[in-house]
Amino acid sequence: MSYGGEPVLEGASIVVGEGQFVSLVGPSGSGKSSLLRAVIGLQQPLEGTVEREVAPSEVAILFQDDALLPWKTARDNVALGLTLKGVRRGRALEQADVWLERLGLGSFGHRFPRHLSGGQSKRVALAQVLAREPKLLLMDEPFASLDAIVRTRVIQDVASLVEREHISVLLVTHDLEEAISLSDHIYLLSRGPRAHVTRDYPMPLPRPRDPVRARTHPAFAALYEKIWNDLSHEVDRV
Amino acid sequence: MNPRFAWARQLAAFAVFLSVWQAVGHAGWLNPIYAPTPGQIGAALIELFGSGRIWTHLEATFGAALAGLALGVVAGILLGVLGSLVPFVAELLEPVMTLLNAVPRVVLAPLFVIWFGIGVASKIALSFILVAVLIFFTVFTGIRQVDRKLVERVLTLNGGRWALVRHVYLPSVAAWVLGNLKVAVGFAFTGAVVGEFVAASRGLGYLLSFAQSTFNSALMLALVLLIMVVVLAIFAIAGRLEKHLLRWK
Ligand SMILES: Nc1ncnc2c1ncn2[C@@H]1O[C@H](COP(=O)(O)OP(=O)(O)O)[C@@H](O)[C@H]1O
Ligand SMILES: [Mg+2]
Repeated sequence: MSYGGEPVLEGASIVVGEGQFVSLVGPSGSGKSSLLRAVIGLQQPLEGTVEREVAPSEVAILFQDDALLPWKTARDNVALGLTLKGVRRGRALEQADVWLERLGLGSFGHRFPRHLSGGQSKRVALAQVLAREPKLLLMDEPFASLDAIVRTRVIQDVASLVEREHISVLLVTHDLEEAISLSDHIYLLSRGPRAHVTRDYPMPLPRPRDPVRARTHPAFAALYEKIWNDLSHEVDRV
Repeated sequence: MNPRFAWARQLAAFAVFLSVWQAVGHAGWLNPIYAPTPGQIGAALIELFGSGRIWTHLEATFGAALAGLALGVVAGILLGVLGSLVPFVAELLEPVMTLLNAVPRVVLAPLFVIWFGIGVASKIALSFILVAVLIFFTVFTGIRQVDRKLVERVLTLNGGRWALVRHVYLPSVAAWVLGNLKVAVGFAFTGAVVGEFVAASRGLGYLLSFAQSTFNSALMLALVLLIMVVVLAIFAIAGRLEKHLLRWK
């Protein structure tokens, strides 16, 4: 994968099994965002392939920025995700209401994005992609802009929803605790350019799992310590 | 002082100002050729409406301004969109528009009278050119600044070209045009009135030039007042429209 100069990523092979929650961590600029953009088709890899066993319309992506259309209400934003998939408008609006309700935003459907808080806006963005019933959900540091409490609540909801709907997830995050408490598997990317997967760790924490309780699991501290050391080593490498 | 009653103080000050003006004029300290009293201006206004001769002039000015506004907005949007889609069109249009933007466009008024005659066409043309250049730049620069994140959001929801136009580009363009609607309305009336002032047989601008040639400053000030009221009223309507359609902002 390259933007014209030296390859950004080289030999970054990542597998996300069905229903698996996989996280990708690595130094800034190592190409995590580029990788997700290649998977969803916003960027063409120079060489190599992205193998998806799911149709393009079954892949969804969430960015740090929710990018809701400011001139559409929350409800219309969610419905748009469905109408673009071919669902007719009446049905799309019904489904939008169902999903907004599910994310605790039942009475916020008529609001424009400008009048939503950070957490509400994130939930609308989630409703927008989850209503499409994706098989694979990509997330690029989606929770980074939320404050601590809201963030924990949103993460709990995401975890339980993807577990229940059996959605495969590839999460890019800077937050190791977040990665460990949510994932079945973590990949560590080396410092770029020519970044590649240096390590990967299966996560032994049992499922079903609450991401807050997971932090008090006996294995948590040792996992954190180990991945943290490897990550620091990558960041400090010259 | 309670800021809530600012309007009351402003009104009182204005009344005092008018009374002093009226008194000074009454005492014969003002030359009525230069400074008619408020009473004389009011009388001129009443005469304009009372005799009913104002209506044909209002109609002429409104007709020219609204026609110029409508045509200018449509042409500005079309050219702006075309310029953003076709690089060749942009190459041709940008220097012309930049030139038109750089000069005060009302200097074209005498030329338009030669081209289109002293009838309504030359006034519409002036309004049109004032509005079209403004809207062209609004749309042309606006489309380049469409939020890339919104485009990617629609793309990743499997939206195609048409979905992008409909859900991202059109609403963005509409927002910029609406945001400039008041300015455009002001431009449209400027075009109509200046055009009439240069050469016409009807319209508020024509009446202004008539008042000037007969040294009738009471009529002149009455017309200035009338034009201000008309434009403010249209601003208010445009403002309401903008507020409603851009309520998501
Ligand atoms: N559109 C682009 N054009 C050129 N270079 C880019 C572009 N996007 C990202 N890059 C470069 O690619 C590298 C990886 O970026 P990115 O994928 O954003 O990394 P990460 O998400 O891991 O921080 C960086 O060196 C960045 O400067
Ligand atoms: Mg990134």
